[in-house]
Amino acid sequence: MAELRCIVVTPEATALEENASFVAVPLYDGELGIGVDHTPLIGRLGFGELRLGRGAQVARYYVDGGFVQVADNVVSILTGRAVPAGQLNPETLRAQLAAAKERPATSPELLEIRSRLVAQARAQLRVATRSS
Amino acid sequence: MAKARALDKRRKSIRNIRKITRTMELIARARFKKAMDRATAATAYTQRITQLVADVAATGVAVSHPLLEDRPEVRHATLLVLTANRGLCGGYNGAVVRAAQHRWKELNEPSVQSRLEVSGKRGQVALKYRGLAIDTLYNHFEDKPRFDEVEVLADRYLEEFVTGRLDRLDVVYTRFLSVSRQEAVVQTLLPLKALDGGTADSGSADRAGSDSTYEFLPTAASILEEVVPASFKVKLFKCFLDAAVSEQIARMVAMKSATENASDLIRQLSLTYNRARQSQITGEIMEVIGGVEALK
Repeated sequence: MAELRCIVVTPEATALEENASFVAVPLYDGELGIGVDHTPLIGRLGFGELRLGRGAQVARYYVDGGFVQVADNVVSILTGRAVPAGQLNPETLRAQLAAAKERPATSPELLEIRSRLVAQARAQLRVATRSS
Repeated sequence: MAKARALDKRRKSIRNIRKITRTMELIARARFKKAMDRATAATAYTQRITQLVADVAATGVAVSHPLLEDRPEVRHATLLVLTANRGLCGGYNGAVVRAAQHRWKELNEPSVQSRLEVSGKRGQVALKYRGLAIDTLYNHFEDKPRFDEVEVLADRYLEEFVTGRLDRLDVVYTRFLSVSRQEAVVQTLLPLKALDGGTADSGSADRAGSDSTYEFLPTAASILEEVVPASFKVKLFKCFLDAAVSEQIARMVAMKSATENASDLIRQLSLTYNRARQSQITGEIMEVIGGVEALK
């Protein structure tokens, strides 16, 4: 059976290069499932959980925004950071969330930056607590 | 007697120095390999992002973003200088400091509020000595710059740029051209002039013609909006990587020539030492013969 090739690239290195039968990526506005022979697409990623399904096994990662490109059964994911879900620490993430909430939001730009940081911390926390 | 012994002593100390420089060269070579591997691993990302930009651009979406627009009036400028924490790497730090000083003079007009940020102890010492006030110091970037460390800086610059507290960001670093060539350059990273993902060589030309059958989620414009900051971060990260690779090469070359120089010196000293020893022996024989002659 044909499989998807999933490549996760961060600026530091190629974090992951594996075959999978199903990939779920966290898009900017909701999750997207990608199966074999999906139509070519370029999508903007949000902060959230990347799942690679292979049979009954599911590998879970946290991805930190970026892009996904699908073509010819190859799913390339460009992201700033890809961390296996088990390696996230809920305690430090809670502190990060609290720090993000403390930031000033006195102008539209600052408000946008703050909500971005809050969303990032929340998404990580969600992925971390779901896996533990 | 005294002269030959002094020469021998010097020779010994030069041998010790040669051992040290040789070791440093080997260390620099090992670090260079690691740094080079990191730099090549990073190109996978830049290539993909370049391809992505080409694919998006092929749909004919106009690329416009606040980060790409030139500010007509520069009131706040930042100069980021990337140097090494350690010396003994030939002209590496000197070249960067000279380039930085040159650009700083250009920036330092009364109408411009400029900030100077320096990474690396060597550059900090050199620029302070030249009487420049440094606003921010970074010492934590060693030969393995990590993306999350650089991202902190990049996020701060982006925030300042968007909120109007920064109009221009220049980075002074040593660009890696090839193993035998690196040069100190000044690069303007904000505003971003063009979107090429950080590499000059891109496969975009031959891919631009490919059919743009991609589906964009949510829209091509929204993807571009995200590509621009990502591309800036990667560019800044690449500056750090290039600087790290170039530093190790510079140190390798400097230590190699130091080792060679020490070998030359040892050879010369050996010659003089042997000559001194010889003449000393001759002198002693002459003395004995002289003594015998006097007794006759």
